[in-house]
Amino acid sequence: MTTPANLQKRIQRVEMCDIVKRFPGVLANNKVCIEVNAGEVLALLGENGAGKSTLMRQLYGLYRPDGGQILIDGQPQVFHSPADAIAAGIGMIHQHFMLVPTLTVAQNVALGLKSSREPQLDLERVSKRIQELAQAYGLKVDPEAYVWQLSVGEQQRVEIIKALYRGASIIILDEPTAVLTPQEVNDLFVTLKRMTQEGHGLVFISHKLHEVMAISDRIAVLRDGQMIGSRPAKGVTRDDLVKMMVGREVKPLAPQPLQTGPVCLGISGLRAMGDRGTEALRGVDLEIHASEIVGVAGVSGNGQRELAQCLAGLRKNTAGTIQLNGQDITQASLLERMAAGQSYIPEERMRDGAIREFSVQENLFLRDHAAPQYTNGIFLNFARMAARTREVIQQYSIKAPGGDTPIKNLSGGNIQKLIMARELSRQPKALIAAQPTRGVDIGATEYIHQRLLEQRANGTAILLISEDLDEIRTLSDRIAVMYEGQIIGIVARGEATVEQIGLMMAGIPLQETRAKASA
Amino acid sequence: MNELFSLAVITGILTSAIRLATPYLFAAVGEAFAQSSGVVNLGVDGIMLVGAFVAFYVTLQTGNLWLAVLAAALVGLLMGLLMSLISVTLKAEQGISGIGLYMFGLGLSSLLFKLLVGTVQTIDGFKVIKIPLLGDIPMIGEIFFQHSLPVYAAFLLVPVAWWFLEKTTWGLKIKAVGQNPAAADSLGVSVDKVRYFSVCLGSVLAGLAGASLSTALVNLFQENLTAGLGFIAVALVYFGGWKPAGILVGALLFSTVNAFQLWMQVLGVNISSDVAVMLPYLLTIAALVFATNRVRQPAALNKPFERGEN
Amino acid sequence: MKKHNVWMAICALLVAALVLTACGQAATPAPAAKVVRVAVVMPSSTTDMAFSQSMYSALVAVQKEMGGEAAMEIKYSENMFKVPDAAAAIRDYASQGFDIVVAHGSQYGASVEEIAKDFPGTTFAWGTDVNTFGLPNVYAYTAAAQEGGYVNGVLAAKLTTSKQIGVTGPVEVGDAKTYIDGFVQGVASVDPSITVNKTWTGSFSDVALMTEAAKTHIAAGADVLTGSSQSVVGSIGAAKENGKVLWFGTQSEQTTLAPELVVASQVYDWTAMIKEIIASRAAGTLGGKTYTLQLSNDGLKIVFNAGYNLPADVKAAADAAIEGIKGGKITVNP
Ligand SMILES: Nc1ncnc2c1ncn2[C@@H]1O[C@H](COP(=O)(O)OP(=O)(O)OP(=O)(O)O)[C@@H](O)[C@H]1O
Ligand SMILES: [Mg+2]
Repeated sequence: MTTPANLQKRIQRVEMCDIVKRFPGVLANNKVCIEVNAGEVLALLGENGAGKSTLMRQLYGLYRPDGGQILIDGQPQVFHSPADAIAAGIGMIHQHFMLVPTLTVAQNVALGLKSSREPQLDLERVSKRIQELAQAYGLKVDPEAYVWQLSVGEQQRVEIIKALYRGASIIILDEPTAVLTPQEVNDLFVTLKRMTQEGHGLVFISHKLHEVMAISDRIAVLRDGQMIGSRPAKGVTRDDLVKMMVGREVKPLAPQPLQTGPVCLGISGLRAMGDRGTEALRGVDLEIHASEIVGVAGVSGNGQRELAQCLAGLRKNTAGTIQLNGQDITQASLLERMAAGQSYIPEERMRDGAIREFSVQENLFLRDHAAPQYTNGIFLNFARMAARTREVIQQYSIKAPGGDTPIKNLSGGNIQKLIMARELSRQPKALIAAQPTRGVDIGATEYIHQRLLEQRANGTAILLISEDLDEIRTLSDRIAVMYEGQIIGIVARGEATVEQIGLMMAGIPLQETRAKASA
Repeated sequence: MNELFSLAVITGILTSAIRLATPYLFAAVGEAFAQSSGVVNLGVDGIMLVGAFVAFYVTLQTGNLWLAVLAAALVGLLMGLLMSLISVTLKAEQGISGIGLYMFGLGLSSLLFKLLVGTVQTIDGFKVIKIPLLGDIPMIGEIFFQHSLPVYAAFLLVPVAWWFLEKTTWGLKIKAVGQNPAAADSLGVSVDKVRYFSVCLGSVLAGLAGASLSTALVNLFQENLTAGLGFIAVALVYFGGWKPAGILVGALLFSTVNAFQLWMQVLGVNISSDVAVMLPYLLTIAALVFATNRVRQPAALNKPFERGEN
Repeated sequence: MKKHNVWMAICALLVAALVLTACGQAATPAPAAKVVRVAVVMPSSTTDMAFSQSMYSALVAVQKEMGGEAAMEIKYSENMFKVPDAAAAIRDYASQGFDIVVAHGSQYGASVEEIAKDFPGTTFAWGTDVNTFGLPNVYAYTAAAQEGGYVNGVLAAKLTTSKQIGVTGPVEVGDAKTYIDGFVQGVASVDPSITVNKTWTGSFSDVALMTEAAKTHIAAGADVLTGSSQSVVGSIGAAKENGKVLWFGTQSEQTTLAPELVVASQVYDWTAMIKEIIASRAAGTLGGKTYTLQLSNDGLKIVFNAGYNLPADVKAAADAAIEGIKGGKITVNP
């Protein structure tokens, strides 16, 4: 069971040549060529649905190319399943983690491998080897822990260990940073650096350009399934990349302050339990006014998720009240909250926001199918719904062959755009947006930000929960920083520096920092 | 009433309970394998019927009980292959295919019985084997160590199944495929192969459950001999939280209450027979309601797997 | 394409299941002119060694007597334990023009009452019950099972040495109950100190539980067992495995199941009744009467197992009981 990563024959060079991949109604890859060499990081960029994941899934044996060739050190390869790719030395960290939550870390790693004591498992040896790898690459994990107990960052480390354990020398990372906190991203980059030093070749996919520029040696850009170009990372500017990806320039937003209205969403003394039985919210007080965006910043796991769920009505609070326009909605059901004018963009979009097997159109009308404009008496007016679906696909530039495509076939970012479209089209009084642009490309991020500002201008009170500090700082009129289930401080736009906010996120109140600074 | 708590009666109840639990254990442990891999096989009762008939018929013709057991295992395997083909390869709705398999088994066993046997006959089944020494311990010996081979085998199956699921590479694959087939697939584990294996293994055990009924417990065959026993076995899997030990507890609970109510009636305890007969079911339902631990439920239960979903 | 395959497979499986069930039905050639067409719907199978088999054997016997399939056609639906299915079958047979439709189960009463009104030209017979619903085309039939029960009880009381007798039955209704009530009276007439313990399993079909019920009686000390319903074969199996307890049968002759242990069986003989129904129909009476199988009208018979060495005095006591019941000197309460 123990084939140390460094014993296996190292791959020097992987080439994918003229790769073509079709899905019903989509040409996902159109004669794409890329190459990855040992010891380098190749960044793969592109808008949502450009075909990045599809390309990499072919390298990992999950899909068979419809055309083209995969060469490893010059030898043509045919991968019938991931087993073949793994055997050839390819590893992949998927955009959506591939872990079994009910099993331990060691069991997840051992899955599918021969044991030295076949048919018995030898988890002690696996654990030992995991610890060796963890040591060598700076990946802290507990082999005996159950995966469901792990944070997202820890889960990602398990995924990396899974690939290393199998002796992968070329490792694909599909949007590994989308779910990580800034600190975790730094840790990941340390690990990635170490991997390249060890001679691994890495493919790194991300929508965050500063990350791409920080970590990669070469950058390749895909657009609409075609390779736009590939160039060394040195000397490339953000604007160059944006232009390659989107085909136009995308300017950073600079929202103007607005006259805010009366308090719309009032939260006081809110307490709630977390999933693991500990108290996740320990008395949260917050007021959001009409025409105001309040951003909630914080290291993930400090109660942001639970706060969003409590507000949405998905989690029971143990104390405190929530008011919407003066009406107490603490005990209100989801439906009642919706009726009262609240909208919710969930963080776990696959689980809470959409139904995988349903089509784009069905998902778009999950909420409003009974609205008068889409019904004829008791029947649904499908023609109107279809027309509206086409409109949304166009406006939000959702890449989908049509309104009847099941959303499980959409790329990750496009699902997020769809949910945004659904929630924003309702003209809510209050909007809870949790990680609204996670995994969304630059062009679409800009579009979503514009929509949020538009809502704000229309008088909506918006609570924006995000781990992307840039996003928070760009959009928010006020920033509330959460720490250990409480709001440790609220600052107005421009009132605090990034560093000060970072310290607040670490649990140090603003007054202390200022006091120190003035002392 | 006092009689009910005499040593002799308690011994009697527990002996009955151990015996009665046998077919439930075989069938439910088998179903636990299938379900752990993500396939609900509602055809257990049908497989049991065919297994019961085949074992009965082979014994009737040859008198060879080992041949009978082997034949029952074999037809179980064939029916398992059929179920896998429909629900794994063709990805049909599992509930419907299972019910179809049940009806098929019910019809097939009845037809074969009419064609080949005609009327109810008894056979010489597995004899009680008293384990030397252990069987002589007062009470304990009678309760646990004076049974026929299939009864011992059923109880032995529980730790073996636990070992298989928890301690072997195959068990790990089965559980992973049932919880997150995409994850297993991404590590090169063939989801279909694992599901075929688990469903077939479960079906072989269902065939043996039927054989234990016709060759060890009642020593005869009659149309619809199982009378829905296989469906209770499916419920026991949920009750037991997909764990062999949990299933053992559930099966024993069910059979003990059943044996208890039989003894209550025999001893003339003044209670309506309708209530007595309902007891085991009432208790099972109550226990199911309170057994709220759904954590271990295979997340991919009832879901066909197709690669390429994000 | 994929979906298509799935449905093909499921359909194939269902068709196979249906064909298999259908194969179970007696295949009868197309009816010739002037045959009596009889259909019967039964809750269990024709091979149950009990209730359903007793009716089916009687029909076959009458058919043989009348000159085979040329004179009488028999069609049956068995295992109709679900009443709605049975009702559908009854209606089907009536609309196919069968002369006589027998609904062989007390649970079918309501269905018969409803359907008989729609087919005034068809004769319906149902049992076991006494209610003809005041309809001119419905016969009801029942068995005075307590009579044979009494005789079996007398025999059992004479043969028990442990003074403990076990009775197993499905549910406490119909002829299962009357048989056992008669049995208890028979035992008491010989020796009131003998205990008769009763177990009801709650199911007509749960053989495994019936087996365990018999084993429980044996473990509790019973040396004579009896019982009623199609699942009772399980009890006989348990008696046979034990090898030392005696068995008394009812409904059908059960000797073959355990030739060394079965002392006697009360046998339901529906042939006389069937012949009479056919004859009255030919004479223009379509129904409106209740039949009761009794010892006195030879509808009930006590069949002794020739292979069992029954002491002469015990046999004499049984014969006396039979004569007493026939002559009205002994009355057995149902
Ligand atoms: N299994 C599938 N069936 C049908 N269409 C698919 C399937 N997988 C992907 N597609 C389509 O192929 C195109 C490329 O998708 P892909 O997932 O590769 O995009 P991506 O570049 O990874 O985007 P994102 O940044 O949003 O993850 C999309 O239009 C998507 O809808
Ligand atoms: Mg992707």
